Parts: sequence; structure tokens; C-alpha cells
Amino acid sequence: MSRRDSPRLVVYAGLAAIGLVAGLAVGRVELVALAAPFALAAAVGAALARRPPRLEGVLTLDRERALEGDDVRATLELSGGEDASRIDILLPLSDELRERDRRNPAAVPGSAERVELTLHCDRWGAFRIGPALVRARDVLSFHTWEAAIGGAKPLRVYPSVETMRSLLEPLETQVYVGNQVSRTRGDGIEFADIREWHPGDRLRRVNWRASARRGELWVNEQHPERNTDIVLFLDTFIDARLGMRGTLDMTVRAAASLAHRYLQRKDRVGIVSFGGYVSWLVPASGTRQLYRIVDSLLQMGIVLSFATKNLDVLPPRTLPPRALVLALTPLLDSRTTTALLDLRARGFDLVVVEVSPVPFVKPFGDELSVLSYRLWSLSREAQRAQFEWAGIPIVSWTDGEALDAVLEEVRAFRRYARPVRA
Amino acid sequence: MTLAALSAAAYGGVLTWSCLLATRVAPLTLFLGGAGALLLGFVLVRSTEELLGSALLLLGAGYVLGLLVGRRSLDEGAPLVGAGLLLCAELATWSVELRFRVALEPALRLRRARAVGLLVLAGLASASFVLVVAATSIGGGLAWAILGSAAAVGAIALAAFVRS
Repeated sequence: MSRRDSPRLVVYAGLAAIGLVAGLAVGRVELVALAAPFALAAAVGAALARRPPRLEGVLTLDRERALEGDDVRATLELSGGEDASRIDILLPLSDELRERDRRNPAAVPGSAERVELTLHCDRWGAFRIGPALVRARDVLSFHTWEAAIGGAKPLRVYPSVETMRSLLEPLETQVYVGNQVSRTRGDGIEFADIREWHPGDRLRRVNWRASARRGELWVNEQHPERNTDIVLFLDTFIDARLGMRGTLDMTVRAAASLAHRYLQRKDRVGIVSFGGYVSWLVPASGTRQLYRIVDSLLQMGIVLSFATKNLDVLPPRTLPPRALVLALTPLLDSRTTTALLDLRARGFDLVVVEVSPVPFVKPFGDELSVLSYRLWSLSREAQRAQFEWAGIPIVSWTDGEALDAVLEEVRAFRRYARPVRA
Repeated sequence: MTLAALSAAAYGGVLTWSCLLATRVAPLTLFLGGAGALLLGFVLVRSTEELLGSALLLLGAGYVLGLLVGRRSLDEGAPLVGAGLLLCAELATWSVELRFRVALEPALRLRRARAVGLLVLAGLASASFVLVVAATSIGGGLAWAILGSAAAVGAIALAAFVRS
């Protein structure tokens, strides 16, 4: 532990020395009397420095994983503080975590063996809690001893998942069994059509009523239930932020909600983080994939880069054919726009959800700022029109709006517009 | 805030006493004490403990001035002045410490108050003891001068030790 002495201890000793010397020099006992309390205080201070505390501690969290809005209890077990009169404890926390009882920093008696703090998880993220910074003091605060104890503990706060009633259906399904009714015909539950019997058709597929009416065998055809591949394409080039809310925050929340719901339906979900730092997860299904996705979302951040990025940086398996690519982008970087148009050109079923940065951007009051804000809004309109011309459904999602409602707009768009295939 | 006010009150008490000690040089004493009060105010407002010594030294100088110019052969209030200065310093330091928002248990406040009280009382007792010893006719001479010098040297050594 590193020791720090109060500056007043030197002052006391100095004043005592000056008083004694001056008393001797001028022959006045009052100066000695004046110096006596300070000499005593300095002597007491020097005596108190002889017994430094040997503080040790263990920091524990009641859990390592929590959801946004949850409370996590941190406990610091202290030992060796008996020689200190008071121990100040500060647990450094990031902005996303808040101490609920306003007890950070806290001061406890030296004899305290355990300090408990309730941390409120305001926002998702991967954090390291600790080590705790402790400062032990003697009874008059003449000396302080400082140390960092308890080690660091990891805490993962997962983003809260939005309740979604319905999801966006991909235009095409994959070959594995799932919950999505395929457009193709085969073995399934959903009735598709009837056709003439061919050798090899199973007896149970014969539609006896149609056969009786036509005088020859006719069989039922069904739509098979298949799974789908969903790729969440997240634009992480730029984050428009205002306080604790921002476009990246919204993107992560939406991605977590969508991944959760699609994986519940037995679909395969992959993720592509397209930004200064490109990362991806190959589509897969199951609970393990959900944890992989959420863990990768927690690591997501903005990395500034001016390098030209295109789809060639992604391995082919990250974008499987016939997958629905759901892009979440604030449309603030032209590299994302280029990449998305490129995806569309390659024939992917693409949907763009524009995570609107508009609520996070406020123009200054002067005329130039207002004008540039208007120009910026117009350029955004132009960008949106560019997507629409390419036949890509694009919807704007603002902070506070339900994602469900936004996806409904895409469904409405798809009812009237279908991609044309050559 | 209360502690700062109490510290300022202790300072004001000592300054008043110093001014009353020799009314002839009261303006000069007031000037020195006023300068010290400004420094003390700076310490209390800006939480800079480093200037506390200068504030005490200025007020001490004002007191010494009054003591030397005044006609009293012995100032019986000297122990109170010493204890008052110590109390002022302790309260000012405590006040500065409390500026940092720390969730403090009430027992800790009580413990600190008791420690400060004991220190000031012990200081008062030691200063009174010095005056009593000086008032008692137990003789003088070289031995006492050597003892006094040793005490002064000891105090300087203590200051050097604490500083290191």
C-alpha cells in the first residue's frame, strides 16, 4: 500500500519548530505555549504512521451475466483493516453501470469486513468490475494508505429483447426442416394444389374426392416446412449519439431481438458487423448461436477507418444463397450504401432498416447550420430513393418506435413489389 | 459547511484576541490576520489544504506582534490561542475532506469529532502546562536553555522526518 501524508502534518511540525525557536530567541514563554499544541499534534501524527494497515480484499459479483435493467450485487470482503480508523472504497464503474444506493464511494470503519454495493445495469455491454480502490486513514487523517484490491471480475450485460409478434418472412427457404412454409411443393402440411397421379406417388396423398369426380387418380400437393437463413447486416461505421442513446445502441438492441426471435423459429441466423472493424458469424441455429451472437454484439463498437470496404472482405459462407439479409444502418457512411446495393445486385433478398440518426442530430441555431442540416436531410432522402429504385424495401426506424411496426411496413412493401429475377 | 464556519469562527476568535492584546498595532495585526483569513477562505472554498500553513503562520505572526508590543508580562490566553489555531486547522481540513462526496457512516463522524476534540484538549493542556511551568519559580539557567534548544531542534527534526 502506498502511503500519503497530510500536508498539515508538516505545517504542524514547522509551526512548532518556529514557535520554539522564536520563544527561545525573544524569551517569551507564550510562544512556546503557542507551539505546544502543534508539537503534540505532529508527535501524534508521527506515532500514527507507525502502524500501517495491511488491507486485503476479495471482490465477488452475485452473477456474471445480467440483462439490461437488472441489479447485480458486488461484495468486497475486507481483511487487515483493523489498524485503520476509516476505509474509503471506490469501485470504478463505467457510465453504463450505476451504483443504486449512492454508496460509491463509501467510507466504512476499519473494522468492517464486508461492503456490499448494488449495481444497476443501465445499458448492455461487456464490463470488468474492479479492482476496488481503497484508501485507509488514521483517526485524524494524518496519513492515508492507498491500494487497489479485489481483482477484476467480468460482467456481461445483455441487451433487453423487444417483444415481436411477427417476423419478416424471407422470399425463399432453405433445404432443412423448419417452421417456414416454403413456396415450393413437396411433403408438408400446408395444402398447395392437386395434380395427376404419377407412378411412385404414395397412396395416402391421393385426393379421393377429386379422383372420383375426374375418373382418374389425382393427388394432393403440399408446401413443405423449411427453415430460412437470416443474415443481420449491421453498419458500425458511425454512431450518432445523444447521451446514453445512439444509433449503435438501437442497432444492437434490434439485432438481439431479431436474432432471438428468428432462432426461436429454428431458422439459421448469422451476423455481419460491417464497419471500421469487420466481423461476422456464419449462420447457424440453436441457443448456442444466440449466445454467440449476443456475445459478439456486446463487443461491437465504432472503429474509425477510412479504408475502402466492400463485400469482398467477407467470406462467402457468411452470406449463403437465398438468405434474407436484414441490414440495420443509420445510412451515414457511403461505404455501407455501396455494399448494400452490391448485395442487391448479387440477387440477395435484402431489406434495409434505416436506424434514423435524425433524433440524435440537432442543428445549431445559426442560418448556416440550419441550411446544412436541411441539405443533409435531402441527401438522406436521395439515398433512400436510391434503394427504392433498386427495388430494395427501406424503412426508417426512429428511437422509441416499435420494431414490429417498422417491419410491418416492409411486409406492406413486399405485397406490392417483388424482386424480378432474370 | 458547518465545519468551515466553525473553523472560520475559531480563526476569528484568535484574531480578535490578537487585536485586543495591543490596540496600538491592532491595524497591523488585523492586516496580517486578514491576509491569513483570505488564505483560509481560499482553502475552504477551493479545497487546497496546502495554503493552510500560511494562513496559520500569518495569524500567528499577528499574535506575536501584539504580544511583543503589548505591555503584558505574561499572556494567560496563549494556550487558548494555540489550541484555537489547532482547532481551526483541524476543522478546516475536515471540512475540505468532506467536500468529496463519500457515503460516510455517522459513527465515523463521531469518531473523528472525538479525536479532534481530544487532540485540541490535549494541546490546550500541554500549552497550559508550559505556562504553569514557566510561572513556577524553579530557577533558570543554562540547563533550561539547553533543554529549550533541544526541544526546538527536536521539533525541526520531527518536521524534517514527517516531510521525508
